[in-house]
Amino acid sequence: MADAPASPGGGGGGGGSHDSGGSPRGGGYGGVREQDRFLPIANISRIMKKAIPANGKIAKDAKETVQECVSEFISFITSEASDKCQREKRKTINGDDLLWAMATLGFEDYIEPLKVYLQKYREMEGDSKLTSKSGDGSVKKDTLGPHTGTSSSSAQGMGQQVAYNQGMGYMQPQYHNGDISN
Amino acid sequence: MRLARPYTVAVGRAAGPHALPLARIKKIMKRSTAGDGGAGGESRMISGEAPVVFSRACELFVAELTRAAWAATLEGKRRTVHREDVAAAVRDVDLFDFLAALVVAHGDAAGCQGALD
Repeated sequence: MADAPASPGGGGGGGGSHDSGGSPRGGGYGGVREQDRFLPIANISRIMKKAIPANGKIAKDAKETVQECVSEFISFITSEASDKCQREKRKTINGDDLLWAMATLGFEDYIEPLKVYLQKYREMEGDSKLTSKSGDGSVKKDTLGPHTGTSSSSAQGMGQQVAYNQGMGYMQPQYHNGDISN
Repeated sequence: MRLARPYTVAVGRAAGPHALPLARIKKIMKRSTAGDGGAGGESRMISGEAPVVFSRACELFVAELTRAAWAATLEGKRRTVHREDVAAAVRDVDLFDFLAALVVAHGDAAGCQGALD
Protein backbone atom coordinates (compact mmCIF):
# COMPACT_ATOMS: atom_id res chain seq x y z
CA MET A 1 0.00 0.00 0.00
CA ALA A 2 2.75 2.40 -0.79
CA ASP A 3 1.24 5.70 0.09
CA ALA A 4 2.85 8.47 -1.81
CA PRO A 5 3.81 11.25 0.50
CA ALA A 6 0.98 13.71 0.67
CA SER A 7 3.22 16.62 1.28
CA PRO A 8 1.02 19.66 1.55
CA GLY A 9 4.01 21.66 0.49
CA GLY A 10 3.60 20.30 -2.99
CA GLY A 11 6.44 20.16 -5.44
CA GLY A 12 9.01 17.93 -3.93
CA GLY A 13 6.85 15.44 -2.18
CA GLY A 14 9.65 14.51 0.13
CA GLY A 15 8.46 15.57 3.53
CA GLY A 16 5.91 13.28 5.03
CA SER A 17 4.62 15.81 7.49
CA HIS A 18 1.02 16.68 7.17
CA ASP A 19 -0.99 19.60 8.43
CA SER A 20 1.62 22.18 7.82
CA GLY A 21 0.89 25.33 9.70
CA GLY A 22 -0.92 28.03 7.85
CA SER A 23 -2.92 25.69 5.74
CA PRO A 24 -6.66 26.13 6.25
CA ARG A 25 -7.20 22.42 6.62
CA GLY A 26 -6.48 20.28 9.59
CA GLY A 27 -9.31 21.09 11.92
CA GLY A 28 -12.71 19.52 11.81
CA TYR A 29 -11.69 15.99 10.95
CA GLY A 30 -10.49 14.98 14.37
CA GLY A 31 -7.45 12.85 13.92
CA VAL A 32 -7.84 11.84 10.31
CA ARG A 33 -4.55 12.15 8.58
CA GLU A 34 -4.27 14.29 5.51
CA GLN A 35 -3.16 11.32 3.42
CA ASP A 36 -6.44 9.62 4.25
CA ARG A 37 -8.53 12.53 3.10
CA PHE A 38 -6.89 13.74 -0.07
CA LEU A 39 -5.22 12.51 -3.19
CA PRO A 40 -1.54 13.45 -3.47
CA ILE A 41 -1.14 17.08 -4.40
CA ALA A 42 1.69 16.28 -6.82
CA ASN A 43 -0.66 14.16 -8.93
CA ILE A 44 -3.37 16.79 -8.80
CA SER A 45 -0.89 19.44 -9.79
CA ARG A 46 0.29 17.41 -12.77
CA ILE A 47 -3.24 16.97 -14.08
CA MET A 48 -4.00 20.66 -13.57
CA LYS A 49 -0.93 21.76 -15.48
CA LYS A 50 -1.91 19.66 -18.43
CA ALA A 51 -5.27 21.44 -18.56
CA ILE A 52 -3.93 24.96 -18.97
CA PRO A 53 -1.55 26.54 -21.48
CA ALA A 54 2.17 26.23 -20.88
CA ASN A 55 2.47 29.89 -19.97
CA GLY A 56 -0.08 29.54 -17.21
CA LYS A 57 0.82 29.07 -13.56
CA ILE A 58 -1.04 27.57 -10.68
CA ALA A 59 -0.79 28.91 -7.16
CA LYS A 60 -0.52 26.56 -4.22
CA ASP A 61 -3.84 27.69 -2.80
CA ALA A 62 -5.54 26.74 -6.05
CA LYS A 63 -3.97 23.28 -5.98
CA GLU A 64 -5.09 22.74 -2.43
CA THR A 65 -8.60 23.85 -3.27
CA VAL A 66 -8.82 21.48 -6.21
CA GLN A 67 -7.38 18.73 -4.04
CA GLU A 68 -10.24 19.23 -1.60
CA CYS A 69 -12.74 19.44 -4.44
CA VAL A 70 -11.63 16.06 -5.77
CA SER A 71 -12.23 14.39 -2.43
CA GLU A 72 -15.63 16.03 -2.36
CA PHE A 73 -16.29 14.74 -5.86
CA ILE A 74 -15.41 11.18 -4.83
CA SER A 75 -17.68 11.44 -1.80
CA PHE A 76 -20.49 12.97 -3.79
CA ILE A 77 -20.50 10.20 -6.38
CA THR A 78 -19.82 7.42 -3.90
CA SER A 79 -22.69 8.44 -1.65
CA GLU A 80 -25.11 8.37 -4.53
CA ALA A 81 -23.83 4.97 -5.66
CA SER A 82 -23.96 3.70 -2.10
CA ASP A 83 -27.59 4.74 -1.76
CA LYS A 84 -28.40 2.86 -4.91
CA CYS A 85 -26.73 -0.26 -3.56
CA GLN A 86 -28.66 0.09 -0.36
CA ARG A 87 -31.94 0.34 -2.23
CA GLU A 88 -31.05 -2.73 -4.24
CA LYS A 89 -29.78 -4.53 -1.17
CA ARG A 90 -26.32 -5.05 -2.54
CA LYS A 91 -23.24 -4.95 -0.37
CA THR A 92 -20.61 -3.97 -2.90
CA ILE A 93 -20.28 -0.79 -4.88
CA ASN A 94 -19.00 -1.63 -8.34
CA GLY A 95 -17.83 0.40 -11.30
CA ASP A 96 -21.23 0.44 -12.94
CA ASP A 97 -22.81 1.90 -9.83
CA LEU A 98 -20.37 4.76 -10.05
CA LEU A 99 -21.09 5.32 -13.73
CA TRP A 100 -24.78 5.37 -12.94
CA ALA A 101 -24.22 7.86 -10.13
CA MET A 102 -22.17 10.14 -12.36
CA ALA A 103 -24.84 10.09 -15.06
CA THR A 104 -27.47 10.85 -12.44
CA LEU A 105 -25.53 13.73 -10.96
CA GLY A 106 -24.82 15.47 -14.24
CA PHE A 107 -21.47 14.01 -15.25
CA GLU A 108 -22.81 12.16 -18.26
CA ASP A 109 -19.97 13.50 -20.37
CA TYR A 110 -17.60 11.32 -18.38
CA ILE A 111 -19.46 8.11 -19.07
CA GLU A 112 -18.12 7.31 -22.50
CA PRO A 113 -14.43 7.86 -21.71
CA LEU A 114 -14.88 5.95 -18.48
CA LYS A 115 -16.54 3.02 -20.18
CA VAL A 116 -13.62 2.82 -22.59
CA TYR A 117 -11.17 2.98 -19.73
CA LEU A 118 -13.03 0.37 -17.74
CA GLN A 119 -13.29 -1.90 -20.74
CA LYS A 120 -9.56 -1.74 -21.25
CA TYR A 121 -9.05 -2.53 -17.62
CA ARG A 122 -11.37 -5.50 -17.84
CA GLU A 123 -9.56 -6.80 -20.89
CA MET A 124 -6.33 -6.64 -18.97
CA GLU A 125 -7.90 -8.52 -16.12
CA GLY A 126 -9.42 -11.03 -18.50
CA ASP A 127 -6.13 -11.60 -20.25
CA SER A 128 -4.46 -12.51 -17.05
CA LYS A 129 -4.84 -15.99 -15.68
CA LEU A 130 -6.33 -14.57 -12.58
CA THR A 131 -10.02 -14.60 -12.14
CA SER A 132 -11.76 -11.69 -13.72
CA LYS A 133 -14.03 -11.30 -10.77
CA SER A 134 -12.40 -8.41 -9.07
CA GLY A 135 -12.49 -9.00 -5.40
CA ASP A 136 -12.59 -6.41 -2.75
CA GLY A 137 -9.41 -4.44 -2.73
CA SER A 138 -7.11 -7.03 -4.22
CA VAL A 139 -6.95 -5.61 -7.68
CA LYS A 140 -4.46 -7.55 -9.71
CA LYS A 141 -2.50 -4.55 -10.70
CA ASP A 142 0.50 -6.59 -11.71
CA THR A 143 -1.30 -7.41 -14.89
CA LEU A 144 -1.72 -3.82 -15.83
CA GLY A 145 1.85 -3.33 -16.91
CA PRO A 146 1.38 -3.31 -20.67
CA HIS A 147 -1.86 -1.41 -20.32
CA THR A 148 -0.49 1.98 -21.19
CA GLY A 149 1.10 0.83 -24.37
CA THR A 150 -1.78 -0.99 -25.95
CA SER A 151 -4.39 1.58 -26.68
CA SER A 152 -5.28 -0.02 -29.97
CA SER A 153 -7.26 -2.77 -28.34
CA SER A 154 -9.93 -0.36 -27.25
CA ALA A 155 -11.47 -0.21 -30.68
CA GLN A 156 -12.71 -3.77 -30.77
CA GLY A 157 -13.55 -3.56 -27.14
CA MET A 158 -16.20 -1.00 -27.79
CA GLY A 159 -18.62 -3.50 -29.27
CA GLN A 160 -18.85 -5.75 -26.28
CA GLN A 161 -18.83 -2.86 -24.01
CA VAL A 162 -21.91 -1.29 -25.49
CA ALA A 163 -23.68 -4.60 -25.23
CA TYR A 164 -22.55 -4.98 -21.68
CA ASN A 165 -23.92 -1.67 -20.65
CA GLN A 166 -27.21 -1.84 -22.39
CA GLY A 167 -30.14 -1.48 -20.16
CA MET A 168 -28.17 0.15 -17.42
CA GLY A 169 -29.69 3.48 -18.24
CA TYR A 170 -26.61 5.62 -17.87
CA MET A 171 -27.54 8.02 -20.51
CA GLN A 172 -30.66 9.36 -19.01
CA PRO A 173 -31.52 12.60 -20.66
CA GLN A 174 -30.77 14.70 -17.67
CA TYR A 175 -29.06 17.55 -19.30
CA HIS A 176 -28.11 20.78 -17.84
CA ASN A 177 -25.80 23.31 -19.21
CA GLY A 178 -22.66 22.48 -17.31
CA ASP A 179 -20.68 22.73 -20.44
CA ILE A 180 -17.06 21.83 -20.53
CA SER A 181 -16.12 24.10 -23.31
CA ASN A 182 -15.20 27.49 -22.10
CA MET B 1 17.39 6.79 -14.28
CA ARG B 2 19.04 3.96 -12.45
CA LEU B 3 15.86 3.10 -10.61
CA ALA B 4 13.63 3.12 -13.63
CA ARG B 5 13.19 -0.59 -13.87
CA PRO B 6 12.72 -1.63 -10.26
CA TYR B 7 10.44 1.33 -9.81
CA THR B 8 8.14 0.19 -12.57
CA VAL B 9 7.92 -3.29 -11.22
CA ALA B 10 7.67 -2.63 -7.53
CA VAL B 11 5.87 0.66 -7.23
CA GLY B 12 4.01 0.17 -10.45
CA ARG B 13 1.93 -2.32 -8.62
CA ALA B 14 0.61 0.31 -6.31
CA ALA B 15 0.50 3.18 -8.72
CA GLY B 16 -0.25 1.17 -11.82
CA PRO B 17 -0.80 2.97 -15.05
CA HIS B 18 -3.35 5.16 -13.33
CA ALA B 19 -2.70 8.81 -12.75
CA LEU B 20 -3.95 8.60 -9.19
CA PRO B 21 -3.26 6.05 -6.46
CA LEU B 22 -6.04 3.50 -6.18
CA ALA B 23 -5.48 2.77 -2.51
CA ARG B 24 -5.95 6.42 -1.65
CA ILE B 25 -9.09 6.68 -3.73
CA LYS B 26 -10.48 3.68 -1.96
CA LYS B 27 -9.79 5.21 1.43
CA ILE B 28 -11.71 8.32 0.49
CA MET B 29 -14.56 6.19 -0.83
CA LYS B 30 -14.67 4.21 2.39
CA ARG B 31 -15.03 7.38 4.34
CA SER B 32 -18.09 8.38 2.36
CA THR B 33 -19.86 5.03 2.56
CA ALA B 34 -19.28 4.46 6.22
CA GLY B 35 -20.82 7.66 7.45
CA ASP B 36 -18.89 8.91 10.44
CA GLY B 37 -16.25 6.35 11.11
CA GLY B 38 -18.53 3.52 10.14
CA ALA B 39 -20.43 3.71 13.39
CA GLY B 40 -23.84 3.46 11.79
CA GLY B 41 -24.90 0.55 9.56
CA GLU B 42 -22.38 -1.74 8.01
CA SER B 43 -19.85 -0.19 5.75
CA ARG B 44 -20.32 -0.98 2.11
CA MET B 45 -17.72 -2.96 0.23
CA ILE B 46 -15.95 -1.53 -2.77
CA SER B 47 -15.20 -3.58 -5.86
CA GLY B 48 -11.72 -3.58 -7.30
CA GLU B 49 -12.96 -1.76 -10.36
CA ALA B 50 -14.47 1.14 -8.51
CA PRO B 51 -11.22 2.97 -7.69
CA VAL B 52 -10.10 2.35 -11.26
CA VAL B 53 -13.16 4.19 -12.50
CA PHE B 54 -12.43 7.02 -10.13
CA SER B 55 -8.78 7.26 -11.09
CA ARG B 56 -9.90 8.29 -14.56
CA ALA B 57 -13.00 10.19 -13.47
CA CYS B 58 -10.95 12.35 -11.12
CA GLU B 59 -8.58 13.18 -13.95
CA LEU B 60 -11.49 14.34 -16.07
CA PHE B 61 -12.91 16.25 -13.16
CA VAL B 62 -9.68 18.02 -12.25
CA ALA B 63 -9.07 18.95 -15.88
CA GLU B 64 -12.55 20.34 -16.28
CA LEU B 65 -12.44 22.32 -13.05
CA THR B 66 -9.01 23.66 -13.93
CA ARG B 67 -10.07 24.78 -17.39
CA ALA B 68 -13.02 26.62 -15.90
CA ALA B 69 -10.75 28.21 -13.30
CA TRP B 70 -8.29 29.22 -16.01
CA ALA B 71 -11.11 31.00 -17.82
CA ALA B 72 -11.67 33.04 -14.67
CA THR B 73 -7.94 33.72 -14.43
CA LEU B 74 -7.88 35.07 -17.97
CA GLU B 75 -10.91 37.17 -17.29
CA GLY B 76 -8.97 38.81 -14.50
CA LYS B 77 -6.11 39.36 -16.96
CA ARG B 78 -3.79 37.18 -14.94
CA ARG B 79 -1.67 34.16 -15.70
CA THR B 80 -1.72 32.43 -12.34
CA VAL B 81 -4.68 30.40 -11.21
CA HIS B 82 -5.62 31.18 -7.62
CA ARG B 83 -8.10 29.82 -5.19
CA GLU B 84 -10.64 32.48 -6.07
CA ASP B 85 -10.50 31.40 -9.71
CA VAL B 86 -11.46 27.91 -8.65
CA ALA B 87 -14.25 29.43 -6.58
CA ALA B 88 -15.39 31.43 -9.60
CA ALA B 89 -15.40 28.25 -11.68
CA VAL B 90 -17.58 26.58 -9.08
CA ARG B 91 -20.00 29.48 -9.22
CA ASP B 92 -20.04 29.63 -13.00
CA VAL B 93 -20.60 25.97 -13.81
CA ASP B 94 -23.80 24.29 -12.62
CA LEU B 95 -22.10 20.92 -12.59
CA PHE B 96 -19.92 22.10 -9.72
CA ASP B 97 -22.77 23.22 -7.49
CA PHE B 98 -22.00 20.50 -5.01
CA LEU B 99 -18.69 22.22 -4.27
CA ALA B 100 -20.24 25.56 -3.43
CA ALA B 101 -20.23 25.07 0.33
CA LEU B 102 -16.63 23.89 0.37
CA VAL B 103 -15.36 26.77 -1.73
CA VAL B 104 -17.35 29.39 0.13
CA ALA B 105 -16.23 28.07 3.48
CA HIS B 106 -12.65 28.67 2.51
CA GLY B 107 -13.41 31.79 0.56
CA ASP B 108 -13.82 33.83 3.71
CA ALA B 109 -10.63 32.60 5.25
CA ALA B 110 -8.54 33.04 2.15
CA GLY B 111 -10.35 35.90 0.53
CA CYS B 112 -8.11 38.63 1.79
CA GLN B 113 -4.88 36.91 0.90
CA GLY B 114 -6.13 35.99 -2.53
CA ALA B 115 -4.84 39.19 -4.04
CA LEU B 116 -1.18 38.38 -3.66
CA ASP B 117 0.33 37.12 -6.82
